[in-house]
Amino acid sequence: MNARVEIPAQAEHRALPPTTHDEFARQEFVRAFKEHLVKHVHGGNRAVYESKVKPAFQRKHKRAPKTRFEVRDEMVREPYYQMFSTLLRTSQEMMWSSCQIPVARDLEALNQTIKKPKKKKALGSLTLNPELPTPKYHTAVDIHCQPGGYHSEFMAEDASAGMVYDRAVHVYAMGQMGPYNNDMGASIVMWLKKHHPEFKPKRILDLGCSVGHSTVPYAEAFPDAEVHAIDVAAPMLRYAHARAEDMGVRVHYSQQNAECTSFADGSFDLIVSHILLHETSQSAINNIVKECHRLLAKGGMMIHAETPPYKGMDPFDAFLLDWDTRNNNEPFWARSHEIELKALSKQGGFDPALEFEDLIPSAFQVAQATRSHKFQGGDFGGGGLWFIYGNRK
Amino acid sequence: MSVGSKLKRKAKGERPYFFDDPNVDRVVSMVMGLAGEVAVLHDRLDTLERLLEAQGSVQRSSIDSYKPSAAVAAERAVWREGYLSEVLRIVEIEVEALATGDTAKYDSAIKAVEQDAPKPRKKSTPRKKS
Repeated sequence: MNARVEIPAQAEHRALPPTTHDEFARQEFVRAFKEHLVKHVHGGNRAVYESKVKPAFQRKHKRAPKTRFEVRDEMVREPYYQMFSTLLRTSQEMMWSSCQIPVARDLEALNQTIKKPKKKKALGSLTLNPELPTPKYHTAVDIHCQPGGYHSEFMAEDASAGMVYDRAVHVYAMGQMGPYNNDMGASIVMWLKKHHPEFKPKRILDLGCSVGHSTVPYAEAFPDAEVHAIDVAAPMLRYAHARAEDMGVRVHYSQQNAECTSFADGSFDLIVSHILLHETSQSAINNIVKECHRLLAKGGMMIHAETPPYKGMDPFDAFLLDWDTRNNNEPFWARSHEIELKALSKQGGFDPALEFEDLIPSAFQVAQATRSHKFQGGDFGGGGLWFIYGNRK
Repeated sequence: MSVGSKLKRKAKGERPYFFDDPNVDRVVSMVMGLAGEVAVLHDRLDTLERLLEAQGSVQRSSIDSYKPSAAVAAERAVWREGYLSEVLRIVEIEVEALATGDTAKYDSAIKAVEQDAPKPRKKSTPRKKS
C-alpha cells in the first residue's frame, strides 16, 4: 500500500451536514474509488483503443476513426471499456448514496440549522419564488444522477438537495476543488486579477449558483461589490444562503431563471457561470447569453466556465469526454460542447470580435504547487485547467 | 446506514448498462458496495486500535505479533468454516441435492400438482367396502 498524497479535507461550517465515523469512512471510500478510477483505470481505455481498436478499424476501413461516434461504436463492445463504464457509473451512484445517508438520518434537525442562522442579522439575503416553474432541462432527468435533482423537496422548506450536493462536490472532485469547493470561482478571480487588474466590478451576478461554492470567492475578492446569485432550485438556495452566512460572506441569493431574470437592464459589471451552460438546453443557452447582454452595463464582462469544446479535439478524447452525456444524466453535454461560441455571442447581441476563450490555471492547483514546490495536478478539470468563454459589452 | 424513504433513492432517467448481460453490471455494483462496506469496517477497526493504544489498553504492535493459541486457532478455524459455508451455500446445495436424491426437475413438481386436479368422476356404482 503506497503512502498517500495529502488531500485537503472539506472545510466544515454549520450548514455542512455532520457525519458519523462510518458515514465519513463511506464517503472517503467513494472519493478514493473515484480517484483510483481516474489514476489507474481511465487511461487503460486509450491503451485498448490504440493497441487494439484503432488498428482493427484501420484494417477494415483503410483509415483511422474520424469522429467520436465511430470511436464509440467500436469501444462500447470492448470489455475493458464496459468494466470502466460500469465502475464509473457505480461510483457516481455510491457517491450520492454515501452523501445522502447522513442527511436522511437527521433531515428535520439539519433543516432547522439551515433555517436558523448563527447571527440574528443576516449579511446577505434569500428571496424565493415558489411560482417559478422548474425548467424541463431540470426535470427530464435528475442531472448528474443526484436523486431528486436540485429541485426536489422531501419536507417543507427543505434544503437537503444542497446538503447532499455540497458534500458530493467534494467527493466528486476528490478534494481537488479545495476545502471550500471554490476552485472555479477562485480561478476566474485569479485570471481577472492577472489579465484585467483595472477591472473592479461594482455589481456581480452568478448564474445557476447551486450552493454558492463558486459565488463566494467573488464576494471575498471584491469586498466592495454587491454580489447576487441565482438558481432555479429553492433547496440549493436555502443551503447557499446559510452557507454564505456561516462563512461571514455577503451574497444576495434569489430564485430566478437565468434565461429571464427580474434585474433591470445594465445591472451588472460582471456576470459569471460555472459549468451551468451544459445543464441547460439549446434555446436556454441562447436566452441566457441574450440575458447576459441585457443585464451587463457598458464595459461589463460575462465569463462562463465549462469543460473545453470538442472542436479540434482528437476523436478518442472527445468520445471519452462525452461519457457523461448518456451515462451521467447530462443530456445537453454533447451538443453544448459543439456550439459555435462566437455565433452564440453574436445572437445574444455581443460583438463576436470581443469574444474570448481561454484555458485558465486552477487557483487551487497553483496554490498547491506553491506550497509543495511541485505541480501535483490530478486529472480533474483537465489537469488543473478550466475552460472559460466570455465577452464584453 | 440505510437512506430509508426520506430522500429519493433513484435518479430519474434510464440507467445505462454496459455489458451484454446487465446482470454483470449489477454484480459489479454489488461487489463495489461490499468493498465500500469492508473499507468502512477497516477504518472503524483502525480507529478502535488507535484509541485503545492512545489509552494504553493495547499496543498495536502486540496485535501484529499476536499468535493465536491452539485453542483460539481451533475456534477461528470453526468460525471460518461456518462462514465459508454460508458464503458458498450456492455451491454446496448442488452436492447436497445429489446426496439426498433431490434431483427431480422443478417442472415435475408443477406437473405433479397440476395433474393432481380432480379427475372427472365416472358415474359408477360405489365400490363396496371390503
